[in-house]
Amino acid sequence: MIGRRNLSIGVRSLLALVLVILAGFPVFWMINTAMTPVGDLYSNNQRIIPDFSRTLNIFQVLVSDSPFLRWLGNSALVAGGTTLLSLLLACLAAYALSRYKFVGKGLMTFGFFATQMLPEALLIVPLYSMFMTLGLLNELYGLVLVNTAFAMPVAVFLLKSAMDTVPYEIEESARVDGCNALTILQVMFIPLIAPSLAAAAVITFFDGWNEYLFATTFIHDTANWVASTGLASFIGEFTTPLDMVFSGAIVFTIPAAIFFLLMQRKIVAGLTAGSVKG
Amino acid sequence: MVSVMPQARPARTKKRVRSAPYIFIGLAVLYLLFFTAFPLLTGVNLSFTNSKLLNPSAGSYVGFDNYTALITSGAFMKSVYTTLIYTVATVIGCLVLGTASALVINGFLPGRAIARTIMVLPWAVPTVALALVFRWIYNDTNGIAGDVTQGLGLGQVGWLIDPNYGMLAVVIATVWKLAPFVMLIVLAALQSVPEELYEATRVDGADAFTTFKQIVLPQIAPTMRVVALLMTIWSFRRFEIIWLLTGGGPVDATTTIVINVYRQAFNNGNLGLAAAAGVLGLLLSLIVTVVYFFVEQRATKANGIES
Repeated sequence: MIGRRNLSIGVRSLLALVLVILAGFPVFWMINTAMTPVGDLYSNNQRIIPDFSRTLNIFQVLVSDSPFLRWLGNSALVAGGTTLLSLLLACLAAYALSRYKFVGKGLMTFGFFATQMLPEALLIVPLYSMFMTLGLLNELYGLVLVNTAFAMPVAVFLLKSAMDTVPYEIEESARVDGCNALTILQVMFIPLIAPSLAAAAVITFFDGWNEYLFATTFIHDTANWVASTGLASFIGEFTTPLDMVFSGAIVFTIPAAIFFLLMQRKIVAGLTAGSVKG
Repeated sequence: MVSVMPQARPARTKKRVRSAPYIFIGLAVLYLLFFTAFPLLTGVNLSFTNSKLLNPSAGSYVGFDNYTALITSGAFMKSVYTTLIYTVATVIGCLVLGTASALVINGFLPGRAIARTIMVLPWAVPTVALALVFRWIYNDTNGIAGDVTQGLGLGQVGWLIDPNYGMLAVVIATVWKLAPFVMLIVLAALQSVPEELYEATRVDGADAFTTFKQIVLPQIAPTMRVVALLMTIWSFRRFEIIWLLTGGGPVDATTTIVINVYRQAFNNGNLGLAAAAGVLGLLLSLIVTVVYFFVEQRATKANGIES
């Protein structure tokens, strides 16, 4: 609005164009590289305009005999597990924070926020020895357990602020009818906060989908690798053709990108809710 | 200890501790205690031992030896310095670029929806994919960044192999990914600036810069401070993007505290020393958070606004 009045739309359009090119370039380059024959890549011959006749080559990575499809499947399992576990715990916790006063509430809220500050690199050392003792290393559900610890607090903040907007009258009447809290949560709250629940689901899913540090440290067996570790293993390795590597990167990025773009406002709200309001 | 529903009527208030909220929140709290608080305490405990990765339980207590070793070692102090440089550069870069982008895209613009989507896109790309493409862009023989620097007459820059450029390369990639996040938040804040304020300055005939400084900036300043804190804390603990781009190199140029911790633990196997470095890193982000809340309180008082 500052611009609408004082800068001409022309200047702003020009600046926007520059920003769009800057922001879009690496993604464009990822696509372009995936569409370029390997020979051209290494002879300093990469075209600026992609060869769109090679579009379908990108998806060949899915049907080739590389283990990529299996890694994607593992990522989906880890991400799905993280989502289910996080939402189950977060729904209950958010309900308590939104609807009850109790001793220790402030401390617990602070505790949820504090987890956002902990460096994974510090926790990973003791977690590694814990997981070794518990036999969780090399297991996909081990990743689900550890990812949930980092994804769930964000879901708690997001769901709590959604539940805060639900009027009290709704549950009062249900309470008179003799419904217990758990039934009220299930039957009345979940449908009302469905959009926020969907946002929380997307956030936690892609926490699990994108996660790399724990996956690369805890999983040694290549069959149990997830897509992030599989893709990262191509770094500094020269046997896999580069166009194939970038095809994998695109296939890995597409679901994350689509959901992030659809949910961007909700995600920002979720990430900042804890610190702005708490 | 009265626990009541926030808006419950007096008749419904019961003088007993309700178990329901504790059961509901208890699961999540126990979960976090087990997977974050307990490892955190174990980590602090480890930092006073000489434990090794191969046999973590065989270490013995060495008091503050690890901490003394770290503080007197040039390598650790350099990683603190590197962390600060990385943090300041990325936070400033993201705030400036993100705010500028938000100002440009706010209000009517032809093709605004498409422009906005493309500008947010970097934030949606998973870090591993981002690292792969930036490594290729920075590639010292075939990368397009080299073509650009050669075109500008700067010659071939070894972005990821020259210690003078490693940090810049990592900062650029980080800013590219995170400035869109700042843009989204600032954009939301801009949309809550009351229209009357613009009207007033328009009557006064103020130019764009004056309007920004006197009207827009004070309105979005609280948001910017929160974003700055979040970005700072995240920068202190950021691992993946640095690890995947440079692994802490070239020649330690991008070895931040967390990279140091990870190398110490999983490359050198010194769990005790790694844990001590991690604890010092955590203390650093605690200090920043405390300073933030102090500054925030003073700013709130100065403005006479109740937080």
